[in-house]
Amino acid sequence: MSNELDSLWADFATAYNTPDGYLLATTISPEPPKSDSARLYNWQRWTNSYSIQTDLRYKLQYNPDLHLEKKEASTWLDVFTAYYSFAGKLLSAEEAQNAGKSRDADWNAVYESWKEVLSALYRGYSNNVFAAWTIPCLYVVGKYLRVFAIKADDNAASQRDSGLAFGALQEEDAFGAASKNEKLEDAARQINRIFALCLSDRSEVQYSRKWALYYIANLLFKTYFKLNSISLSKNILRSLKASGSDMPPLSAFPKAHQVTFKYYSGVISFLEEDYATAEEFLVSAYEMCNIHATKNLQLILTYLIPTKLLTSHRLPTSTLLQQSPALERLLGPICTAIRRADLRAFNAALEHGEEEFVKRRIYLTLERGRDITLRNLFRKVFLAGGYEPLKEGETGPAVRRTRVPVREFAAALQMAGAEVGDGEGGVDVDEVECLIANGIYKNFVKGYIARERGIVVLSKGGAFPGTGV
Amino acid sequence: MSGATASSAPTTKLQDPTDSSKSQSAQPQKPAAQLEEDDEFEDFPVEDWTKEEEVSAQQANTHLWEESWDDDDTNDEFSVQLKEELKKMEGQRKG
Repeated sequence: MSNELDSLWADFATAYNTPDGYLLATTISPEPPKSDSARLYNWQRWTNSYSIQTDLRYKLQYNPDLHLEKKEASTWLDVFTAYYSFAGKLLSAEEAQNAGKSRDADWNAVYESWKEVLSALYRGYSNNVFAAWTIPCLYVVGKYLRVFAIKADDNAASQRDSGLAFGALQEEDAFGAASKNEKLEDAARQINRIFALCLSDRSEVQYSRKWALYYIANLLFKTYFKLNSISLSKNILRSLKASGSDMPPLSAFPKAHQVTFKYYSGVISFLEEDYATAEEFLVSAYEMCNIHATKNLQLILTYLIPTKLLTSHRLPTSTLLQQSPALERLLGPICTAIRRADLRAFNAALEHGEEEFVKRRIYLTLERGRDITLRNLFRKVFLAGGYEPLKEGETGPAVRRTRVPVREFAAALQMAGAEVGDGEGGVDVDEVECLIANGIYKNFVKGYIARERGIVVLSKGGAFPGTGV
Repeated sequence: MSGATASSAPTTKLQDPTDSSKSQSAQPQKPAAQLEEDDEFEDFPVEDWTKEEEVSAQQANTHLWEESWDDDDTNDEFSVQLKEELKKMEGQRKG
């Protein structure tokens, strides 16, 4: 037996004797540690399927550095046996991929064999053999189960597309009800089992698997988002809420878990149009986020910016937008259009970004920025109207003109590119009045329309609430 | 004889590194267990960090939000045009 795997077993022993769950989790990870990049190859060559049981027993039960209970040792033996078989599948898939034959990579087999690792590990917890400090192992199995599921589904999809499946499969299988996310749906069920396993732990909080709940919940959110079954996330939120009193507070969890949880909670509220709650979660996620996590910051802001637009009608400063070129490109044009009250530019920005806005599920929220663009436009008309001439003997602050002819709004709308034409070169006054009435109804404008006189009578005390005039 | 081996040695030494760097750049080999999704929240490389590493602790993050209207700059291009247009309308009405 070679010494090439000394680092794995040394890490395993150190992890147990410390104890250090994160180090322990690296010993069953599909990604080798940076310090030992050949670990998986060496692990594969370390033994063979005939002598693996003996070799493992030697390392786990008769290892002088380790003092595992018999039950614990035999559970780890199961885990590592599954891990051994998995490593072989992963390495051949990797080999096919690196040789440019990604279609030959059998991600299905990788997925199934990794699921065996998960099951062996799961039994360790459900039989109460593994202590709570080992939970990072659950993070690793859950995280990669999802990764391999996506790869397996992608692979199946590309085989279906290329017609390869016809030769290998019966026709009914090829056209069967199998979903295009078959493995990912299965992965969601497995990860949900892990969630239930942790939720049901009745041990004292200090020694409870409940410390894994936010990590696993985040993994489920990620999976449900990918599956487009966002509503399922709400079941998870409900379960977490229901066990609130038996749980450590969110603030006691690692910041990585907190920020991710707040991000997903924020996006879920955003999609339910509960913008006040969304803002609370997203602001909190943004503030706590690690400064180096640029991609995550960008994602948080992708939802926080449209949220702020609706809750407080505020826009990001250029300082904020310029932190991320991708964000600047995505939301810069539409924000500028709103600020300048440029309807034409607003429509162009919305149309130009439509595909990406829809993909990120922010289109409908951004579209509501049109009301604010209109508010800003009407405000410009109000400001351009200047002040009432002072009457004789009058002193004091000048008063803005509050009786504004509808045709002035019509002119501004036409200049800004609103579609208020009557088709014959004139203006559809009804359409103009409708836009103004809508602004009044939504409380962007205070006043009323005196139709018979063709003027808008604006409030003398704050015609445009919250904008200083 | 010994001169010939000495002269050929540097050439092979020079070629090797260029060859290997070429093949590396042609085919970047990523660990197979990694996934790239452009719109997905990423795993943080660390589980926890200090208060100083939080965004909220950064100086540059003080002025983040502003009002959504052009601040009373009534001389921007649009406002000037608008005033002209209104003046024209006023003239037409009187005339």
